[in-house]
Amino acid sequence: MDANSNLKADMYLMTNARFFLGHHITFLREKLTGMHDSKWPQIFSSELKDPSNIQIVSLLAGGFGIDRFMIGDTGLGVAKLLTCGGAGIWTIVDWFLIQDATKQKNMEKIQSMI
Amino acid sequence: MSRNRLYLILTLALTGGYAWLAWAFYRHSTAPANFSPCIVKNVTGIACPSCGSTRSLVHLLNGHVQQAVLANPIGLLLAVIMVVLPFWLIFDIATGKDTVYKNYRTFEKTIVKKWIAVPLVLLIIINWIWNIQKGI
Repeated sequence: MDANSNLKADMYLMTNARFFLGHHITFLREKLTGMHDSKWPQIFSSELKDPSNIQIVSLLAGGFGIDRFMIGDTGLGVAKLLTCGGAGIWTIVDWFLIQDATKQKNMEKIQSMI
Repeated sequence: MSRNRLYLILTLALTGGYAWLAWAFYRHSTAPANFSPCIVKNVTGIACPSCGSTRSLVHLLNGHVQQAVLANPIGLLLAVIMVVLPFWLIFDIATGKDTVYKNYRTFEKTIVKKWIAVPLVLLIIINWIWNIQKGI
């Protein structure tokens, strides 16, 4: 674990902290500093979903399940679309859950690369 | 999403669906229901693609297949899911297998392929236009 990879990990986490949940950050830092250097280009170029954007989509088009489609929960998106947004209840529940769900999805994406 | 989490969500959705349908069926036989849970419809006044599927299911329960299709074809799809899924879930839970979970994963991977997703989205949009035109 050299100083260079420490610096890279800190830089990455500083710019991307808002894409992850609080308890992910420590775990990610540990993983990123111990990671092989060749994986960095892939990590840097991976496109993460912005929780704030998804939140807006959820507020506007949550009834159609577009928010779930966007974060990659296609199955749940279809379920939401076919049931008028889960009879309206699921739509409201997702207004509050979708940010954390997005962050969880981002974490899964990064974890599959490390 | 883990297997157990998916099964919990599906069980909750099915229970809610059956409870809602039972209430709608009861209401339909006494007085015509004029309450809509759909946020899109309540906010904009325009029906969403799946508005009318409850009416479709109630028609289906009364044995009026043609009226069910006219109300909203999505109702038929929901009916198939609501009949098949409980047995499938019980089978999986009883035998400790994960066939529903594996098929759900395959479904998620298959449906995002362009040549499947585009026609399905078009179908939904056509159904939506039809819904608005019907004035559901």
